[in-house]
Amino acid sequence: MAKQRTEVADIDRSLYDFRYDEEGFERLDAGLTPEIVTEISQRKDEPQWMLDFRLKSLEIYNRMPNPTWGPSIAGLDMDHIVTYVKPNTDQKADWDSVPDDIKNTFERLGIPEAERSYLAGVGAQYDSELVYHNMQDTASKMGIVYSGIEEALHEPKWEAIIREKFMTLIPPTDHKFAALHGAVWSGGSFVYVPKGVKLDFPLQSYFRLNAAGAGQFEHTLIIVEDDADLHFIEGCSAPKYNVANLHAGAVELFVGKRAHLRYSTIENWSKNMYNLNTKRARCDEEGEIEWISGSFGSHVGYLYPMSVLAGRKSKSSFTGITFAGAGQNLDTGCKVVLGAPDTTATVETKGISKGGGIQTFRSSIVATPAAEGSAATVSCQSLMLDDESRSDTIPSMDIRAKNVDIGHEATIGRIGDDKIFYLMSRGISEEEARTMIVNGFANPVSKELPLEYAVEMNNLIKLEMEGAIG
Amino acid sequence: MDALTIRNASAMPAPTWGWLRMNDTKIEIPVDLERIRAVTVEADEDLTETHASFEGAVADLQKRVDAARGDAEDTRACVRAAQRETESLDDLDTPALSAYQLRATRDEIANDVAAAFETGVHVDARSYLNFLAGSTVVLATESGDDEAAVVRVAGEAGGAAGASVDVVAAADSSIDLTISLDGNAAGSDAAGLIGSELRVFAGARARVSVTVYITADAGFTVIDDAGYVLDEGARVDVRHIVLGGGRTYTGLASDLRGDTARMEIGTRYLASGTEQRDFNYVIRHRGRKTISNMDANGVLTGTSKKVLRGTIDLIHGCKGSEGSERETVLLANQGVDNKTVPVILCDEDDVAGNHGATIGHVRPEQLFYLGCRGLSQEAAEALFVAAKLEDAALSAPDEQIRANVVRLGSALIDDFADFEEEIA
Repeated sequence: MAKQRTEVADIDRSLYDFRYDEEGFERLDAGLTPEIVTEISQRKDEPQWMLDFRLKSLEIYNRMPNPTWGPSIAGLDMDHIVTYVKPNTDQKADWDSVPDDIKNTFERLGIPEAERSYLAGVGAQYDSELVYHNMQDTASKMGIVYSGIEEALHEPKWEAIIREKFMTLIPPTDHKFAALHGAVWSGGSFVYVPKGVKLDFPLQSYFRLNAAGAGQFEHTLIIVEDDADLHFIEGCSAPKYNVANLHAGAVELFVGKRAHLRYSTIENWSKNMYNLNTKRARCDEEGEIEWISGSFGSHVGYLYPMSVLAGRKSKSSFTGITFAGAGQNLDTGCKVVLGAPDTTATVETKGISKGGGIQTFRSSIVATPAAEGSAATVSCQSLMLDDESRSDTIPSMDIRAKNVDIGHEATIGRIGDDKIFYLMSRGISEEEARTMIVNGFANPVSKELPLEYAVEMNNLIKLEMEGAIG
Repeated sequence: MDALTIRNASAMPAPTWGWLRMNDTKIEIPVDLERIRAVTVEADEDLTETHASFEGAVADLQKRVDAARGDAEDTRACVRAAQRETESLDDLDTPALSAYQLRATRDEIANDVAAAFETGVHVDARSYLNFLAGSTVVLATESGDDEAAVVRVAGEAGGAAGASVDVVAAADSSIDLTISLDGNAAGSDAAGLIGSELRVFAGARARVSVTVYITADAGFTVIDDAGYVLDEGARVDVRHIVLGGGRTYTGLASDLRGDTARMEIGTRYLASGTEQRDFNYVIRHRGRKTISNMDANGVLTGTSKKVLRGTIDLIHGCKGSEGSERETVLLANQGVDNKTVPVILCDEDDVAGNHGATIGHVRPEQLFYLGCRGLSQEAAEALFVAAKLEDAALSAPDEQIRANVVRLGSALIDDFADFEEEIA
């Protein structure tokens, strides 16, 4: 007898899929020209070097080809993307001063409540600009700086540091959308943690793209000095439209000697989003970067956080989950460069595909000749929830160093009928059984998140699994 | 040096980042090589005197494939995506396919065995080797036969020689084919090229065993290109023993078209000095309950380089199939460059795919242990190389191939010739 196939019903995404009018907002023309790039810079009253940088990036963008190895981006027409939308407010430091529509948006997403409960600071970006930024006094007194990056650019002390670091880890020549980011970046956060300072509570930036047909290009620059410790959380969402939206942000992380940075992301863009984001960290001697990554949204996703282990005994760990549902092609993974002696890297990823969605794990481990005595392990598991979906695994290893140990393993399969049968024999419905198994599959990622975010991630999985049984 | 260049050779079906320089390779063939006839075929006449052809066998299979094709409309999201004329966001439930996913879906819709046939290196490499060969040797079995054949390509410095072989194994027959690609430069510095181009059709329940020994000296470029089509219940075992050759290109693509077909690939390789090894394996699971296993094991020393691309493609409909890939690499020297890309493409849920790789150096404690017994690091590395060569010599299918291995080993290791006396 043929097995009954599961059917995928519509998913209720109303928690994230709501929108407000743009009355009073300022939109630049769609497309990408030197005039638009110049206007963005002038609106921000930037130093000349930054305008020059933007225009040079635009030149690089115009001569670089689109990637040919990943999901198609033929549906993304840059002539119809608005690169800058300014909301009808300036940045505020208290929620009461934020216009109601915008405040309601973040209230519905639970950001102010999270700030009150367990965060040391919050930044909230709406379309192209930060609308709220605040940090608790205790963190300020420790010497931590957490501000909008544009705000920091106007402080002479930080301008010099930003100029030294900005887009050095992700140069505009890296790929076409890094160049695009260099040309039209807007908003984002700047974090500076002084030597020896350890912040017990996380900082969080939340990015909301409300405008149809727009792009969001925030830049996050974090410097964690020697012996310091930080946990930074990033969240993002958008309402769904039937036109393409684009996210091409950049995250540059500098981790000092013996410093530790955990960077957690729950990405839940709407399913008309092209998420072409770039994240990169550089670790000095005995520095450690931990990436925690949950990718749930977007029509097309290209996301591969990269660790450059430049200092002896530096470490990187990447724990990620990607859930691709109907209409999604999410190409995610990570890159590690073992660039110094005795470095270590671990990669553990989970991929789930369902309802015709496509999930690809892509990675690279490069051990340079300097990486003597280094070790890396990569583990990748993919789960197929039906026979309409697709799951690909494309890992790569390039090993040129002496005395290295590199291990890699990957598996692809589906939920065993025996597991479903076992749970159903204990009175659990098939839908619940499947959700339980998928949650268990995702557990290695969710357990690395703060409780509230683990709950959010499990809710996202539940949302994706809703109606999965027919 | 003027050279004929074959670009995009040994390309992976699903490419990754270009900056890694792993997606494909470029084969440069010196234009001043003299085309020589240096191929001998050792086989019974009843194997070579045949009217069977690879194309005919594929055409017969196509008839059965067409007859089995259902007429139910395929409404999967990837099919909708492949059939639309332009990509838009009007239908958010249709994903944007990558180029290789689009190609795969269109191949699946076409369901054309001949059009889907591929080899591991490149169609241009096949054409070049066909030109060198002049004609194709067809080895065809009859049902119930149990046959064996040996094809030897003996290259010379300054020359280019290639073999073109088709194997058509009838249902319920078996054939054991050995291919020796040997290039003896006889002390000359001149370059040389040898290669073989192989197409195999394994009929229903046929058993095909192919062993390829590459024992060329360092001045040789070696191309070993092969494509397989497996009918229902067929089993193919392939062994690639790659011990020599300055630049070697080993490519194998396999279409597991029939249900319960099985492909086993064992690769043993050694690279020393500045040698380069390039492997590209593509296993397409199309039939139900098909099985593939790839197992590669190698030693790299000197400043040698190696790329291994292995793709298991679990195509929609191959329910109950399993694909597995393992690699173990010993990096015996610090100057080596080892690249590995083990890929699984999966368009079917009721399957199991897995791969694993272990890449490591000789550990300091192992070297210390050997050092305590009077072995220098160089001697220890030579030990690992010798072990690979000795294993190849011991399992060589005939004296001539064993002699080739010993000749190669003697050039690499001072006292390797003594080994010949031991096993004699």
